[in-house]
Amino acid sequence: MAKMQAGLSTKNAPSPKVVLPHYAYAAFAFIAASILLYFSANDLISTTLSPKILSMVHVLVLGWASMMIFGALYQLIPVVMEIKLYSEKLAMASFILLGIGTPLMAISFWTSFIGATIMMIAGGTLVLLSVLLFVINTLLSARKSDIKSIENRFIVTSGFWLLIAVSYGLLMIIHPNILSHNSLQIHIHLGIIGWFMTLIVGVASVLMPMFFISHQLNRKYLTAAYWVINGGLLFLLVSFYLKANTYIIVAAATTIIVGFILFIKYNYDAYKKRLRRKLDIGMKHSVLAFVLLFITLTAAFISAFGDAFGNVVMHRAIVIYGISLFFGFITSLILGQMYKTLPFIIWLKLYQDKVGKFKTPLPADMHSQKVADLHYQSFVTAFVILLAGLLFSSVLLIKIAAILMLITALLYTYNTIKVLAHKEKLEPLVFPKPKPIPKTKAN
Amino acid sequence: MATINNLSEQEKEILEIIKTIPDPEVGVNIVDLGLIYEVSYNETDRRIDIKMTLSARGCPVGDAILQQVQTVVSNMYPGFYVDVDLVWEPAWTPELITEDGKAALDGGF
Repeated sequence: MAKMQAGLSTKNAPSPKVVLPHYAYAAFAFIAASILLYFSANDLISTTLSPKILSMVHVLVLGWASMMIFGALYQLIPVVMEIKLYSEKLAMASFILLGIGTPLMAISFWTSFIGATIMMIAGGTLVLLSVLLFVINTLLSARKSDIKSIENRFIVTSGFWLLIAVSYGLLMIIHPNILSHNSLQIHIHLGIIGWFMTLIVGVASVLMPMFFISHQLNRKYLTAAYWVINGGLLFLLVSFYLKANTYIIVAAATTIIVGFILFIKYNYDAYKKRLRRKLDIGMKHSVLAFVLLFITLTAAFISAFGDAFGNVVMHRAIVIYGISLFFGFITSLILGQMYKTLPFIIWLKLYQDKVGKFKTPLPADMHSQKVADLHYQSFVTAFVILLAGLLFSSVLLIKIAAILMLITALLYTYNTIKVLAHKEKLEPLVFPKPKPIPKTKAN
Repeated sequence: MATINNLSEQEKEILEIIKTIPDPEVGVNIVDLGLIYEVSYNETDRRIDIKMTLSARGCPVGDAILQQVQTVVSNMYPGFYVDVDLVWEPAWTPELITEDGKAALDGGF
């Protein structure tokens, strides 16, 4: 019998029923966010904060990005930490809470802006509980693990930041008096940098080199990135709280940006050293994400200067910073990484006990390549038009972009469902004929 | 155990059988990826031993690959005891990929 070795990831893998609903829900949230983008077009050219913008942003960050990340992490944590997930029940409870809380919040923002309505408080509380369960599950899993790598440190740290971000969000609704201490900026950056970017830095740094097949990378970039990003974030949050002057904010922002450049450098080296020269759809979207990140970093840097370059520049920089991060970098990364993860989860579910007995499809055979290529094209087009719309304050361009983004979301969802609904397909195995074994006395 | 460069005729046949197994993510067979370290065919004891590794500890389909090796070899040699030993030393590096494997990767997957 094949020895089941310690440290093999699949024996620690969670049940697919924990992970798969996250992928499905997130796809539909992306559709919803694209529709909300269409209706937010007017607001985006005139303000950075409105009921529609807040609603769209929270569908994006909670329903699309966080939901997907939760699902992917429940699959990935057992792999990188080499332990079983602490609790599948907690994971499923967290999914339900986030799944219900998000639309409650989105509807509430749309209809009552930042009013402390029952729906808003209920939605916010459900989301907070969901995050709490996620963090507890992650921490208790990490505690069991012997693997104390820098990547794992990123994952655990990001959970803490998320908890604080969401708590802050709820607090702002219940006690709006804290808004005077820049709590909106604090909430946003806790979420963007503390949760999303810290998590992505940790996970991408494990997965990208593995998918590229790149070796001998300088891990010092990652350790440096961890301290620079987290240190810079603390610096930034304190600066916001104390309402420090513009140049201090710029210094903090620059520190964080340097941290991301170190992260980009690490992955760029992986890209240059890759043995897999041709990029599949998963890696195409992922590499594109890194290119788009430069737009976000540039816009973020300009935003840090506040109104030093005038209100128009400030407004455009802020909107481009946010939109390019969520509809650009994060969305492209998720679009790509779905193809690198979901098919394998399904493949293991259907074929794990059939390999060696039958010829099975490969995970890469489960999606429609034509649809994938189409959504890559529609995404790039949508993003370019969206950027143009934001730069030139054109409602029409933003609406066209939103339609293209919706098409992207529909095509992506089609492929997500195609993979999720893959039916078992078995063929007989064909082998080279071995020479007959000579008979011995033992026979 | 015989290392890959030093196989008997029978061991070479076993390796050819293992060559039918692809890494599901990369699409290149696991022999050309350099994952098989040793193959041993013992006629007298009627056993086959295979020592292999995986390209990454985090390989999510590692279990399935090991199982496939065991099943495929057992089916071709009924009555033999087949042991698949997963090792992490020496650590796999891309240098272990054969020329055929590199060509398959280069040509794109």
